[in-house]
Amino acid sequence: MSVPDYMQCAEDHQTVLVVVQPVGIVPEDQFFRIYKRIASVAQVSIRDSQRNLYIRYRHHYLPENNDWGDFQTHRKVVGLICVTTCGSGKEWPQTSERFHGQKEVFGATLYDSRLLVFGLQGEIAEQQRTDVAFYPSYDDCPDVEKKVEDFVESIFIVLESKRLDRATDKSGDKIPLLCVPFEKKDFVGLDTDSRHYKKRCQGRMRKHVGDLCLQAGMLQDALVHYHMAVELLRSVNDFLWLGAALEGLCSASVIFHYPGGTAGKAAGRNPSAAQGQAADAGKRHRPGAQEVLIDPGALTTNGISADTSSEIGRAKNCLSPEDIIEKYKEAISYYGKYKNAGVIELEACVKAVRVLAIQKRAMEASEFLQNAVYINLGQLSEEEKIQRYSILSELYYLIGFHRKSAFFKRVAAMQCVAPTIPEPGWRACYKLLLETLPGYSLSLDPKDFSKGAHRGWAAVQMRLLHELVYASRRMGNPGLSVRHLSFLLQTMLDFLSDQEKKEVTQSLENYTSKCPGGMEVITLPDGLRLHPVPFTKLPIVRSVKLLDLPVSLRPHKQKGLMENSMSTKSPFIYSPIIMHNRGEERNKKIDFQWVQGDVCEVQLMVYNPMPFELRVENMGLLTSGVEFESLPAALSLPAESGLYPVTLVGVPRTAGNITVNGYHTSVFGVTSDCLLDSLTSVRTSGCLVEVIPSLPRLQLSTSLPRSAHPLQPSKEELSSSVSVQLFNGETQQLTITLENIGSEDLETLEITSKISNTKERLFGEFLSWRPGGGCLTPASEARPVWSPSLSTSSQTGLLWRREPAPGPDDDGISVTGLPISSPLRQVLKPRAETRPPGSESSKTDYNHVKMLEAVMTFKYSGGAGKVEGYYRDLTLGLHVDVEPSVFFTRVSTLPATSTRQCHLLLDVFNSTEHELTVSAQNNQDLVLHASECQRMAIQVDKFDFDTLPQPDQETVRYTSLKLLEEERLHAQASMINSTLGITWDIPSVRRKGEASVEGVLNQLVLDHLQLAPLQWDVMVNGKPCDCDIIADCKVGDAVPLEVKLTNRSKNTVGPFALTVVPFQDYQNGVQNYDLQDAVTFIGSNTFYIDTVNPSEESLCLGALLFLYSGDFYLNIKFQDDSVGKEPGAGQGKELPLSWFGLPSIHIRAQEAPMEAGA
Amino acid sequence: MAVCIAVIAKENYPLYIRSVPTQNELKFHYTVHTSLDVVEEKISAVGKAMADQRELYLGLLYPTEDYKVYGYVTNSKMFRKLHNSFTDVMCNPFYNPGDTIQSKAFDGMVSAMMVQAS
Repeated sequence: MSVPDYMQCAEDHQTVLVVVQPVGIVPEDQFFRIYKRIASVAQVSIRDSQRNLYIRYRHHYLPENNDWGDFQTHRKVVGLICVTTCGSGKEWPQTSERFHGQKEVFGATLYDSRLLVFGLQGEIAEQQRTDVAFYPSYDDCPDVEKKVEDFVESIFIVLESKRLDRATDKSGDKIPLLCVPFEKKDFVGLDTDSRHYKKRCQGRMRKHVGDLCLQAGMLQDALVHYHMAVELLRSVNDFLWLGAALEGLCSASVIFHYPGGTAGKAAGRNPSAAQGQAADAGKRHRPGAQEVLIDPGALTTNGISADTSSEIGRAKNCLSPEDIIEKYKEAISYYGKYKNAGVIELEACVKAVRVLAIQKRAMEASEFLQNAVYINLGQLSEEEKIQRYSILSELYYLIGFHRKSAFFKRVAAMQCVAPTIPEPGWRACYKLLLETLPGYSLSLDPKDFSKGAHRGWAAVQMRLLHELVYASRRMGNPGLSVRHLSFLLQTMLDFLSDQEKKEVTQSLENYTSKCPGGMEVITLPDGLRLHPVPFTKLPIVRSVKLLDLPVSLRPHKQKGLMENSMSTKSPFIYSPIIMHNRGEERNKKIDFQWVQGDVCEVQLMVYNPMPFELRVENMGLLTSGVEFESLPAALSLPAESGLYPVTLVGVPRTAGNITVNGYHTSVFGVTSDCLLDSLTSVRTSGCLVEVIPSLPRLQLSTSLPRSAHPLQPSKEELSSSVSVQLFNGETQQLTITLENIGSEDLETLEITSKISNTKERLFGEFLSWRPGGGCLTPASEARPVWSPSLSTSSQTGLLWRREPAPGPDDDGISVTGLPISSPLRQVLKPRAETRPPGSESSKTDYNHVKMLEAVMTFKYSGGAGKVEGYYRDLTLGLHVDVEPSVFFTRVSTLPATSTRQCHLLLDVFNSTEHELTVSAQNNQDLVLHASECQRMAIQVDKFDFDTLPQPDQETVRYTSLKLLEEERLHAQASMINSTLGITWDIPSVRRKGEASVEGVLNQLVLDHLQLAPLQWDVMVNGKPCDCDIIADCKVGDAVPLEVKLTNRSKNTVGPFALTVVPFQDYQNGVQNYDLQDAVTFIGSNTFYIDTVNPSEESLCLGALLFLYSGDFYLNIKFQDDSVGKEPGAGQGKELPLSWFGLPSIHIRAQEAPMEAGA
Repeated sequence: MAVCIAVIAKENYPLYIRSVPTQNELKFHYTVHTSLDVVEEKISAVGKAMADQRELYLGLLYPTEDYKVYGYVTNSKMFRKLHNSFTDVMCNPFYNPGDTIQSKAFDGMVSAMMVQAS
């Protein structure tokens, strides 16, 4: 006996064994159908007695095992059912022959046998035979169960008779010695008459009777017999049979204690029978047991000798649960003494374990199992090994040792594919391996691993996964291998060594070259679903950030429209319900917008945990909400890269709210969709963003090179910027070309500019711009009505002039909106300049380069976005480095001969390194070498600053006095500048520009340059008289003198008192005022001018009489101040002196003609 | 002397495992892993009876052909040393409970307890 039946359990001791076998050619499926039907009759209640007979069916049984039938009667084949197909009567004899042959095999032990013949009809089938049943076909055999029941009953009759026969054996009779096959030779020649031998025979027979009683359903009797057998056998040291008796005792007790059975679900070999048993067991066992308890006396009638039942009390008969285990232990230890009883020992162990499992005594059970592991059954076939390991695994599972169970299952799996097996069973191996997963607390769902740190025995789990991969590959299912390997890589990454990482990825690449991995769920034939494994760790994503569009493409909402939309949303300004929305951070809406049709970016911070370069292909975004065209990227991350920014781009094709759910990658040929929801380690500031309808897109290019350095105040983000180097006063033209590269028509364009540099004091206008008239015509193309072909280029040329010039601050030049359709020309003329350093400044100051910055903003909109109220800004930063060119270090005035003119003296300094020519209007060119200073004099007419426009009342009210003053100064200076028209020219570098005196002018110079508001005209002899004009008169004639005051100031002036003082200049420094003899006044020499209202005139008349010829000068003086102190003359005193610049009058008196003197 | 020493977390994964015949390390992993069944069983059995005065010595857990596996013990010098060292590791403020033990001191102590590989 070499093949153990691992499915055995204690209650099998009460069954009778029936072998069901096919005879001749029987289709396997048909046979098993019949077999199942037969096997369903697992329990038969016997008529006339209240006992049950339990039947164990086997379709395969080694005759060798049958030889142990005396040892334990449930091993004895007592019934044989043969199933056969018989097509015709001719075959019948042959079939019958075979049946008899089959009977021979188990002949010695069979109580009865049956033959089920299928397919035979006719004569032969008509005959009535108890041992043969005929059925026309496999489908037409309604009374198979009935036949089997009859058969079982007949077995019972034999069994019962045997039992009675043995039980009533008198002790005086010769009792045959029962023995197991290997004992037979030991007893040859033994003294059969010895007491010892007799006792042995008695004991063995008792035990045998006990077995029979148990099978016959007489539990209580069986217990009694077993007890007696134990006593007898113990006394003669017949250990093998003592063990058997003890085991019988245990089995009977187990049957008594656990009527539900100990096999549990493990009785898988004939599942339907087991089911039937399990379902009915409770009902059928218990009444039997109770019956025994209630009416034990009834048993005695069946022939148990009275002495046995009285000898041992009923309570003692049955072992307590603890004793069962003790007895099992003892029995097993006795079995262990015999090498040939290994199978018996092993089966006893298994039975004991099942009992212990029910008792929930796992520790003791594990000891039994441990013992079972070491039982050597000699050479086992591979299949037997697998079976053995599987059953060990099952039993360990039964007692709750899941790890141990998994271990043996894995060993069994490995056994399936042992190298000694010619045809390895990879499928079986794979299936067994899958069953070990729970034992290693490994689930194949990657979601279970995404939460927190890895838990579990990584080394062991890894090994198992490797084996799964290998098995699935050998099974010829590369898809499975890829899935398992992906799982291994994803979940065990932290535990893989660098070398292993390389190996795993290499083999993964090998597999995926045949079968690319995807995101679909793989369903195994047995229903296990293998979830996709997204590679969230290859690469590891640390943060996901949705990026705003670049500054130039960012949409802005029109202010007014925004308010409207706000008010329509909710009638409340504040609502706590909305504010306290417990939405996750990820679902928070981001406060910028994307634009339909424009490329949008999402930045991921990723890193590569692998020790080698990681190639990620086809990396793109997973989004929802809006039709989104993802533009996948391929990237290559260096080994253990550290955080590495990756930008994924895509284009939203429709407007609405878009949510970025995750990203997809393709690594090592495995595509994975990584959802952010399942990635807890990813930081994100929100994944929901609004996509607004499309807007046009302008591209800006300029004629100047792009600026290398950004503008100083970097708070404003600029679309682009240009930089240029200029000399002070130089003008540079800049052409800006705007091109609509978007798909929408440009409908509106607004241009504004702003000087952003506030550190330096700016003078004058800095920027001036003028849209190139002709260039605007392409704008009409933006109107779809005009040009349905839609060439998307729209150009606007702008002329920029820059004229740095001294002057007061003037930042923030606002340019009015310019509808693009009107071809209007507009000139903005901002100028700016740094204040030239004072004349005393050191030379290093001159070389200081100043910077000027300005920003131009193009606000445009169009298309569907415009309807929604969005627009875009395009900003151009302008950076100008201003180098000094020409400075006026000093300005002074010299009076000219005429009071209406004066000379302006300018000390010009050339601060450049080049030779420079300075020219002014109506003046000679002045050549200045580098760092040379020269004076130039320009004769200028005095200026009437009053003609300059006055600031209106509104402005005056809201501007500070200082500002007003500056404004005024600036206006005056520009006037002077335009009059002077000073330009410079550097021939060597072909640069030219303007120079401005603004900034060097002081009040004194200005006063000198200003035309006095009181205009004095002196007429001698009716002729106007000015500095250079010599008035002629005759001696003796009265010369009329007229002084006219024209008040051009805003206030009334006067009254004034003027005194005319004549004198003679001897041209040698002596002036003779003592001229009473030479000049006489007709009337007074003092004029009084009454109050003169603005823009009125006042005339004083007087006359002089020259008595001698000569050159005379008249000096008109204001009289003593005390005169002005008259009431109403207060203003006069405050008037500046320069207002009273009356010309000095030169009169040449000549002798009268001769006849007059005569 | 020991051939393999393992410290197991309460969630039954190894905090520390080291064995002397390094060429067949996985075998020890399996041995230790399977003996956890017994530990679990013993602890749960004791836990029902007297959770407070639990005997930390679990004794022989599991004999294999070549080795015997013992559970945690406090009344032998060998295990007391291990216990103390483990306590030291746990007292390390930079140690994150649940992480694999990487302490040099612990390693050295374990080495002292191990069979010296020839």
